[in-house]
Amino acid sequence: MEKIYKAFEKAKNDKCNAIVTLVEPKENLNKGKLSGEPIILKDNISTKGIRTTASSKILDNYYPIFDATVVEKIKAEGGVIIGKASMDELAMGGTNLAAYTGPVLNPWDYKRMSGGSSGGSAAAVASGIVSFAIGSDTGDSVRKPASFCGIVGVKPTYGRISRYGVVAYASSLDHVGYFTRNVKDASLMLEVLAGRDDKDMTSSFKEVKEYSKLLNSDVKGKKIAVFKNVIDSLDNENTLNLFNDLLNKLKEKGAIIEEVSFDNDLMRTLFPVYFIIANCEATSNHSNLDGLRFGVSEDGDDTREVVINSRTKGFGSLIRKRFVIGSFGLHEENQEKVFKKAQRIRRLIVEEVKKCLEEYDCLIAPASNDIAPLLEGNKIDELSDKYLIAENHMVIGNFTGYPSMTVPMGFEKGCPIGVNITCKAFDEENMFNIGLAIEESTGLKDLVAKVD
Amino acid sequence: MIEKEYIKELAHELMFDLSEEEVVEIQKEYETFSKQLELLEKIDTKDVKPMPYPFENETNYLREDVVTHVITQEDALRNASYSKEGHFVVHKVVK
Amino acid sequence: MNYEVVIGIEIHCELKTKTKMFSGSPTSFNEPANTCVNEIDLAFPGTLPTVNKEAVRKGIMACAAFNLEIDTLLKFDRKNYYYSDLPKGFQITQQFHPLGKNGYVDIEVDGNTKRIGINRIHLEEDTAKQFHIDDETLIDFNRAGTPLIEIVSDPDMSSGSEASAYVETLRQTLLYIGVSDVKMEEGSMRCDVNISLNKPNEPYGTKVEIKNLNSISNVARAIDYEIKRQSEILDKGEKVISSTRRFDESSRTTIEMRRKEGGVDYKFFPDPNIVPIRLSDDWVKEIVNSLPELPSERKKRYKNDYGLNDNEINVYLGNRDLAELFEECMKYGDKARSISNWLITDVLAWLSKNNVEIKNSELKPKELVRMIELIEEKVISSTQGKDIVLDGIMKGELTEDIINEKGLKQVSDEGMLLEVINKVLDEQPQSIVDYANGKDRAVKFLMGQVMKKTRGQANPSLANKLIVEELAKRINK
Ligand SMILES: [Mg+2]
Ligand SMILES: [Zn+2]
Repeated sequence: MEKIYKAFEKAKNDKCNAIVTLVEPKENLNKGKLSGEPIILKDNISTKGIRTTASSKILDNYYPIFDATVVEKIKAEGGVIIGKASMDELAMGGTNLAAYTGPVLNPWDYKRMSGGSSGGSAAAVASGIVSFAIGSDTGDSVRKPASFCGIVGVKPTYGRISRYGVVAYASSLDHVGYFTRNVKDASLMLEVLAGRDDKDMTSSFKEVKEYSKLLNSDVKGKKIAVFKNVIDSLDNENTLNLFNDLLNKLKEKGAIIEEVSFDNDLMRTLFPVYFIIANCEATSNHSNLDGLRFGVSEDGDDTREVVINSRTKGFGSLIRKRFVIGSFGLHEENQEKVFKKAQRIRRLIVEEVKKCLEEYDCLIAPASNDIAPLLEGNKIDELSDKYLIAENHMVIGNFTGYPSMTVPMGFEKGCPIGVNITCKAFDEENMFNIGLAIEESTGLKDLVAKVD
Repeated sequence: MIEKEYIKELAHELMFDLSEEEVVEIQKEYETFSKQLELLEKIDTKDVKPMPYPFENETNYLREDVVTHVITQEDALRNASYSKEGHFVVHKVVK
Repeated sequence: MNYEVVIGIEIHCELKTKTKMFSGSPTSFNEPANTCVNEIDLAFPGTLPTVNKEAVRKGIMACAAFNLEIDTLLKFDRKNYYYSDLPKGFQITQQFHPLGKNGYVDIEVDGNTKRIGINRIHLEEDTAKQFHIDDETLIDFNRAGTPLIEIVSDPDMSSGSEASAYVETLRQTLLYIGVSDVKMEEGSMRCDVNISLNKPNEPYGTKVEIKNLNSISNVARAIDYEIKRQSEILDKGEKVISSTRRFDESSRTTIEMRRKEGGVDYKFFPDPNIVPIRLSDDWVKEIVNSLPELPSERKKRYKNDYGLNDNEINVYLGNRDLAELFEECMKYGDKARSISNWLITDVLAWLSKNNVEIKNSELKPKELVRMIELIEEKVISSTQGKDIVLDGIMKGELTEDIINEKGLKQVSDEGMLLEVINKVLDEQPQSIVDYANGKDRAVKFLMGQVMKKTRGQANPSLANKLIVEELAKRINK
């Protein structure tokens, strides 16, 4: 318990605004893979009797009456939950600036963002509060903040970890993911979290391997596809140099590195396809937030007005604006050219990536163009390839459901940046192995931001 | 250009209001969005079916008709702002 | 002016299952509010649906009973709208791929058979119950998530009597195959009617929907009224307004609830949380093959094998428990007509008087048959059966035991009866005079006296015959 109390004290003194709710640690007598290990959860993971807000005002007073399946699994393996972490409101964002408790600061540089939407969980691991934190990943919401925070971020195969009890954002893209400070821990955590759950019909029956025991950094003969469209859209030389250094080291280890290009017009749709599918599904998923059965209820003349007032005051401006896009995309007269069009292109993208991964063991690219942006950064051109492709390529993991992870790659201005790999469905074993080879190549492992 | 009235209607269908500034912001953001929509139009999706799930493998699983989980009335109402005689209450305020 | 009437009907029917359509909480009937729910029914964040196997099975049974093509790839969609009785803000239904499509049912109206098309049957979930009291709305989620099938007819009906025959046939069939309680008054079966009128050889007229009809007679009444109302509008050269109406019991008219302008956009899309479910062909076949006898088949059998009349048969088709009791009785005897007679009149009367439901009664079918036999063998009188034996066997007693305990065996011994009759005649000389003067009711009076002396055990027809004979002897003296 000493380790847990220590972590709890650190969490209390968190300087990144990462923790939304501290949870008084309770001794867990279960012996298992997480015995004595303090855990922090993103605040969209339901915890029985513990406030769960998803960083939205409308859930400010919400205390779930049940544990999410992942919480049950963590407890069963001896883990102790010590806090709930900040996130972009309802996981709809990539900056963690849109939490109603305020932005999460990057532990490497407080002037920078942590990334989102699982920014609180990422900051908690990077600043050394805990070694394990749970997040969720709908676009790149675990892998992007992992890159900005210098840690490992894993989004396993869709259906590998039960989504039961995780506040939904976009059900066909939502994944439970998590953060660790090294690949070994990452492989162990999947053993804890993965497995069939009859409460989630999309959960897989495939057996869960002992990933941590199978771990092996030998990449000799492994075929690695460099995601050329991403490289071509990058303009940060430091990022490119770090990436090329890494590729050279992997080559030295015997990996076969080849460039792969997809149709660039298709790649330019990555962001809009994501944006449309995510917002459309979100409007429907979040229709339960009406203040009638749980959550903050505002007054009104009649039921309709109660709901309208609760939702107007309960959701931040950004959320309501994105809901309008979702409403637009699902509208009968627009659905064909917006929502269904996006779903059709999703299929085309998935087919391309699937073909690629039939030939290669993984697809690799820098997680983003730059290190974490400043809190008040310059706005990026949302029609540029840098934005549409380089900053958003990791949504491919959500479209395909394929396992994808981000591992630290290097530094710029004292801030970390990561590299992302994506593998075949349910091929997490291979993903961890390549991840370990990367970790050995860079030597970047168990990083902790020097918090002053 | 997307009409202000249409934006408000879209919001009302989802049961919330927007401020005038928010409506103007959406109009502006819609300009970018509509250009992104043009990117979609460039892609030929003839004969391509929409993909609603990442994996389309069929399942055989159906839940057996056995009571697995029921909560108490107290737990059901625990998070409600208003309740009365075991019911959720929507309280109307007469101005 | 005469118009063509086009009627289509949508029926929502609660399936008889132990748990909800998409959650493992119990279905309820009159349980305290919000005690048959879990976090899924209340749509707490992060909850997910799972599909109830038994609901699918019962849905397949309904499809089979009405000859629908069954889709073995089960898919669900979201119907998005906000209402306080709909916890998720969407209903999970089967908009794009219904469980069954293209079926039919044969109905009988005025002795003629008509085939009504059934467009589709799909699975979905029920909403919560709301109570509006003054300035408050109280919500009970016990009903939320209860499995439903929606049965959508083709627009094949053209009168109130056809519509009510259709609903009754559906009701009987669903009851018989055991998929639902189909109690319209209690809401486990709900009926919406679409009706439009047009001049012959012209396109369909404007559709009006009458929602939530709660009895079969109201279906006919509402349609008859609506035909009259719309005809009058059209006669005047005016237009029927597209609207949703309800039937008002007291005035027997329909009343507009809201107009339909442009229709509601439900933003349907496939539910991403329920991947397509492949039903095995063997399982579906097994369900279809084990379908119980349909009421239409049973009707034929009762007519041909047992010689029951239409009235009797209709009682059984409307009351499955009574029909099952009849079937049980037929295992012990072959006198279908008299068994049926006893069941429909005396047994039903006893049950309603004592407020007992058939399935809770303790009657052993064998004992009812035995009683009927003993009456026919004249061991006891039918009056004794009705007044004494029935009450006992309805409480689970045995016929023979009752007869022995109460000494009910009829006296059919002529010598014994003659002795009693002569004793009575000695005591009642006036009766003999009356009879001689042509007053036949003297016989009835004497019969009463004989019954009194034998404590009701005299074989009535034999006693009657002997009284007349003895009277004649005395008068002729
Ligand atoms: Mg309908
Ligand atoms: Zn319906």
